[in-house]
Amino acid sequence: MSTRRVADLAHGRSGDKGDTCNVGIVAYDAAGYEELKEYLTEERVKEHFGDLVKGTVTRYELPNIISLNFVLTGALDGGGTLSLRSDHLGKVMYAWLLRMELPEKAAA
Amino acid sequence: MRTVRLGAGMAFWGDSVKPAAEMIRKGEIDYLCCDHLAELTMSILAKQKKKDPSFGYTRDVISLLEGVLPVAIEKGVKIVTNSGGANPAAAGERIAELVKELGLSDVKIAVVTGDDIEPRIDELMSSGVTFENMDTGRKLAEVRDKLTHAAVYTGSEGIVDALDNGADIVVCGRVTDIALYLGPLIHEFGWAWDDWDRLGMATAVAHAIECGGQATGGLYAGGWQDIPSLETLGYPIAEVSEDGTAILTKTPDTGGRVDVGTVSEQMVYEILDANNYLTADVTADFSQVRLEEVGPDQVRISGVTGKPRPEMLKVNMGYRAGFIGEAVFTYTWPQVYDKAQRGLEFLRNRLKRAEFECTDDLVEYLGHNSAWGKVIGEPNDPDRTELVVRYAARCDDAENARKVFTESVPLYNNGPAGVAGVGTRPPLKELYGLWSSLIPREHVHQSVHYVEV
Repeated sequence: MSTRRVADLAHGRSGDKGDTCNVGIVAYDAAGYEELKEYLTEERVKEHFGDLVKGTVTRYELPNIISLNFVLTGALDGGGTLSLRSDHLGKVMYAWLLRMELPEKAAA
Repeated sequence: MRTVRLGAGMAFWGDSVKPAAEMIRKGEIDYLCCDHLAELTMSILAKQKKKDPSFGYTRDVISLLEGVLPVAIEKGVKIVTNSGGANPAAAGERIAELVKELGLSDVKIAVVTGDDIEPRIDELMSSGVTFENMDTGRKLAEVRDKLTHAAVYTGSEGIVDALDNGADIVVCGRVTDIALYLGPLIHEFGWAWDDWDRLGMATAVAHAIECGGQATGGLYAGGWQDIPSLETLGYPIAEVSEDGTAILTKTPDTGGRVDVGTVSEQMVYEILDANNYLTADVTADFSQVRLEEVGPDQVRISGVTGKPRPEMLKVNMGYRAGFIGEAVFTYTWPQVYDKAQRGLEFLRNRLKRAEFECTDDLVEYLGHNSAWGKVIGEPNDPDRTELVVRYAARCDDAENARKVFTESVPLYNNGPAGVAGVGTRPPLKELYGLWSSLIPREHVHQSVHYVEV
């Protein structure tokens, strides 16, 4: 069985506000949203980003558009034009969250 | 039911001016709203103004207006823009000249100021505004002598005044992106300044479209393969009702797509607390936003409410923070990873001999970990065919930053084998730090003056 990833259930977009990066995740359907809401806790997301996030991870829910918003502080090496990173504006940080592996689905 | 059609013309300084030109002809819009300012654009503009007092605005507004103004005036479409940047008055004068060059007359240009508090910093500090960094708590004194500018994210009041007084073009400095859209709606519908639900709802409408093509299929991660004609992407239009809800669409007969997916991605773009989206005019609650497809390329947006506006306004300051020195070089198979390590060692040793000083440095392998850094392992697969190394360092001064490329050049003939493409000297990149702080709103007053042609 192939690895299940967040990308199988959702798409997303990310951007910057100073040294804070926000990662918005939009589920493809309601069932996917429920699973992601359950699994993508602030702790798990923080762990997944590892060295990329020096600060905190806070999650917000937008249930009617089946979306989750993760706010990552200290995530852009100083932010904006201070950052040495190629992705200094955090434009592809969302894709790292989409790569996160999900546990195998319990047999129905 | 009466509606007002707002079009998003520009999303940043340097954005293509073609979508706005198409929209003004085919979009049946009432207002063209153009955002030209990213977080640190003001630093660059302030520097340009210091060199030449007739500059300091984003000059793309001129090429934009060349394309749209004759039709806008003919059709009565009003233009609201924050291209004034660090020098709205100079932008107003240049636009007045352009109006004459285009052979137009009876055009009223409004210039909205009051966001620039740089000359008042000492006075404000003595009256108790600390400008302490809102993210880190650091004191302004640390960067005070390196500040490039200080601009307050101001709200819609100046724009509403200008439109109430019959302006055709409204040029602002650092107003919020949202105000460019909220201003015309408050002017048209006469909403009260404390009608928080309508203001909150309209804030979400503005947020959905203010990044232009990102709402109509640009950057769409939910199926970019299926977005028709990205090359001719149409920019978004909001047909706003009196209750603040809207139908989101785009210029007809253009590329791109407006559906729940493309708009949802944009709704969660660059927001923090979805329950409290702070802007100068209102605190909007996006958490219950609803999107529904009501026709081809038509999405109805509703469900957003508002709470009182924040008492403190956000101040955007920039400070000079040194320079980035950079070198990029490529190694090839065999032993590509080992060669890259030796090449980096070579560069670092040469820099040490050149008495190089930096505050921080970074190694990335382009095409391998330039997006996600250390969470990706090292590129040490022995079969790897090539490796592009990027070494970047943050330096306090330009002289040290220049050494990075200079000391990388000998890699071409003195370093390990298999190097390709050391390249030409890249332009030195000056760094600006962002310093965000808060100011009580009673210290900030917008004013409007008019230039009539």
